[in-house]
Amino acid sequence: MQVELIVNGSSYKAPVEPQRTLADFLRDDLRLTGTHLGCEHGVCGACTVIVDGQAVRSCLMLAVQADGSEVMTIEGLEKDGKLHPLQEAFRDCHSFQCGFCTPGFVMTALALLQEGTVPASEEELREELSGNLCRCTGYQSIVEGVTEAIRRTTGTASISAIDGGAA
Amino acid sequence: MRLVGANVPRVEDRRILTGRGHYVDDIALPHMLHAAFLRSPLAHARITGLDATGARQAPGVIAVYTGDDMKVISKVIRPVIEMGVTPEYYPLVTDKVFFVGDLVAMVVAESRQQAEDACELIEVDYDPLPPVLTYETALDPAVAPLFGDLDSNVLSTSHVEGGDVEAAFAEADRVIEVELSQHRIANVPMETRGLVADYDDGSGQLTVHAATQSPQGLRLQLATTLGHPLDKVLVLTQDVGGAFGLKGNIFREDFCTCIATKQIGRPVKWIEDRNEHLLASGHAREEKISAQVAVTDAGDILGLKAELTMDQGAYPGLPFGASVFPAFITLLLPGPYKVKGYSCDAKVVTTNKCTYVAYRGPWAMETWTRERLIDIVAHELGLDPAEVRRRNFLEGAEEDRLITGLSVSGITSRYTLDRALELIDYVQVRKDQQVARDAGRCVGVGFATFIEAAPGPPEMRIGGGMFGGEQAKVRLEADGQVTVITAQSPHGQGHETTLAQVVADEMGVAMDQVRVVHGDTRLTPFSVVGTGGSRAATWASGAALINARKVKEKVLAIAAAQLEIASEDLEILDGMITPKGVPSKAVPLAQIAMQATLSPTLLPPGTDANLEANERFLGEGITGSGWSGGTHACVVEVDLGTGAVKIVRYVVVEDCGRVINPAIVDGQVRGGVAQGIGQVLYERAAYDDEGNFLAGTFMDYLLPTAAEIPTIEIEHVESDPDGEIGFRGVGEGGMIVAPAALTNAIEDALLPFGAKVTEQYLPPAKVLKLAGII
Repeated sequence: MQVELIVNGSSYKAPVEPQRTLADFLRDDLRLTGTHLGCEHGVCGACTVIVDGQAVRSCLMLAVQADGSEVMTIEGLEKDGKLHPLQEAFRDCHSFQCGFCTPGFVMTALALLQEGTVPASEEELREELSGNLCRCTGYQSIVEGVTEAIRRTTGTASISAIDGGAA
Repeated sequence: MRLVGANVPRVEDRRILTGRGHYVDDIALPHMLHAAFLRSPLAHARITGLDATGARQAPGVIAVYTGDDMKVISKVIRPVIEMGVTPEYYPLVTDKVFFVGDLVAMVVAESRQQAEDACELIEVDYDPLPPVLTYETALDPAVAPLFGDLDSNVLSTSHVEGGDVEAAFAEADRVIEVELSQHRIANVPMETRGLVADYDDGSGQLTVHAATQSPQGLRLQLATTLGHPLDKVLVLTQDVGGAFGLKGNIFREDFCTCIATKQIGRPVKWIEDRNEHLLASGHAREEKISAQVAVTDAGDILGLKAELTMDQGAYPGLPFGASVFPAFITLLLPGPYKVKGYSCDAKVVTTNKCTYVAYRGPWAMETWTRERLIDIVAHELGLDPAEVRRRNFLEGAEEDRLITGLSVSGITSRYTLDRALELIDYVQVRKDQQVARDAGRCVGVGFATFIEAAPGPPEMRIGGGMFGGEQAKVRLEADGQVTVITAQSPHGQGHETTLAQVVADEMGVAMDQVRVVHGDTRLTPFSVVGTGGSRAATWASGAALINARKVKEKVLAIAAAQLEIASEDLEILDGMITPKGVPSKAVPLAQIAMQATLSPTLLPPGTDANLEANERFLGEGITGSGWSGGTHACVVEVDLGTGAVKIVRYVVVEDCGRVINPAIVDGQVRGGVAQGIGQVLYERAAYDDEGNFLAGTFMDYLLPTAAEIPTIEIEHVESDPDGEIGFRGVGEGGMIVAPAALTNAIEDALLPFGAKVTEQYLPPAKVLKLAGII
């Protein structure tokens, strides 16, 4: 089958087998290997990408289902050599160690930022992030990184309840 | 600015944040094939027939290997390090399967999907045999040994004692007996196992791109088992997506994949899926200790007798099988307490389960046992567990020794306990607990103290200790950049950053003037461990530091002769060789480096143009106690309706000496605590009574998420803050002690119900059982 889609702003038209997952298509066909596969059964969230504004698990979505869609992966965040505020906040808050889960967390957090609904508390943010697994950090630095990114992109008025977390 | 001690941003971060890390599954070589394995569905069985005809004819299939093939191609697998007894075994099973997930056959095909599909076409007949699944069965002399070439299912026994244990017991007011058991869990890095093996028939070189903690350890074991010349095995490792001890192992799948590329002459990739990972990569921690503690009614701990049993599963881990670890557990079990007499017997048994592997603090059973025992003793005597600890602590005085003999001069156990209880506001917590109990709520507070030999006291470091110290190479490049080649193989620890901090400070250059190289066995020094055992902070930093110093001495000698000034009167400031107090006469480091590279014969006589050093660091200059350690304290609330445990507060007071990068150290501690919490509340690598594995997906093997792990408050005790090589290991401590602190808190919460926690795994149903509700 033929799929036509936009990935990180570039158009692609490619033949694809019906059973090929979006994750394999991105990684193997487009060689965008920043999207990682941690479980291939939709639990760990490492493969999270944004499809038409929604965070999705690319291991559970077929490439053909993304036909006609706009896809964003971790490779699409940096613009003109400048990191996205989320990437900067993750760096500044030491939000990862081995980095395998990081693209998934960043894309999940990006969808959250783009939705514009800011979690009202640290507890709520932790719930929002609970669909992604990290084995290295104990999550605190990730929560701090996302909090910091929200602070930097939306101003200081938001998520007052989690101010303490990023100190 | 001094970099050591600062939250320097990590060198690793940009590539990872932009999706340009290089993990093993990102490698795609021209004409690369893919391997998949057929695994045993039974725990113990004899293979009576195997027909691979269908698989061999399936689309895309290039080769199918069975045990019979491997027996011809491969040598018997022998560990390069001596340990207990090991069975005769090969990369694939030859006649019997020994656990669910054991390797029956390998298919190599053009795509992973084709390889997996072809595995399903292999027909295998099994004659089931009774599995050995429990300690009792494994220890039963009437049960036949699993492996025909071994005398029994007991692989090793050992005995350790200290002081006069019988005299200590004779003095006691009472003896408390308890059996404590730790359940089987797994490391579960987010990246599964995998490698790409690429044999070049022209040169005879076998190149292995591996997700490993120890490229050199892997290289040595591969060469040995494959019978391939060591100088023609190259292991390359770039980014590794977590390991926690697992990827320090060399796996049978590694041998198979390398054999396949040698046979076929094309690169072969094997990337494990998560189900295989949970089933067959490695499991940890299944151990039990039967203990007798001799105490006085006042709370003095006089003596300890213990029997440890460990379950190795079916095959030995390589290079460190289960039989390596009782020595650590038995050495540390009595801990930093004034015990007068101690004895411990240890046994390692083999069973029909997945192989035991080291997992972050593989000796942690000692801390859990001891810190659990102290609380049990306190409750039995009606004393406060804090007071029992305080009464028995070794103070860290110069003459203080563990009952097993090691010096603990300088340890800070008492301080860390006092400080942790102060931070958690222990007195108030006890008052609040009473109020909560009166209101029908179930609140508990628990704490635990540990010490970890990272690097250990001086007598453990003679000649560099059990691994002979650590090597590193430091080189000043022609452009003034400093290259540090380390034996570490980091997989999240940030050594590209921390080692650069240490070397930049020593060399007097900026952070971005130092590059750390790892994961290339053509360049990197030998280390069987690589990154593991909390060794990097002391050993790798020390090795980098002493060699940076050597290079600096060489450069300063050249500059001193050229400037006609004593080298002691020179310093390097921000990359400029500067006469002290005369910055106007400074010479760029790069200028000397370029001269030494291009015109070595023009250098002043008696100086050395070879601006590199690779001396082995044997531990000279290590300061402080040699013991990392600390106390964790937490407050929990148990929901008696659901059995759920909520961690209300979690406080860590950690002493790992001088901190190189606080954010990285805190990350190590928090990550370890999270794994310890997961271990107690959520994770279990469970088998049923027939040896079927019950936790093969992330819906069955539960990892904690951001919603379950609390904020973890950390305070560092930088004992010996000025020591030059006063950095101590911190990778394992968080996980070593967290299960003890948490289970102590849960028992404390449930004390009104008479609960006694003797099994570490406390899922909701178990909590409700302890509370007498179900």
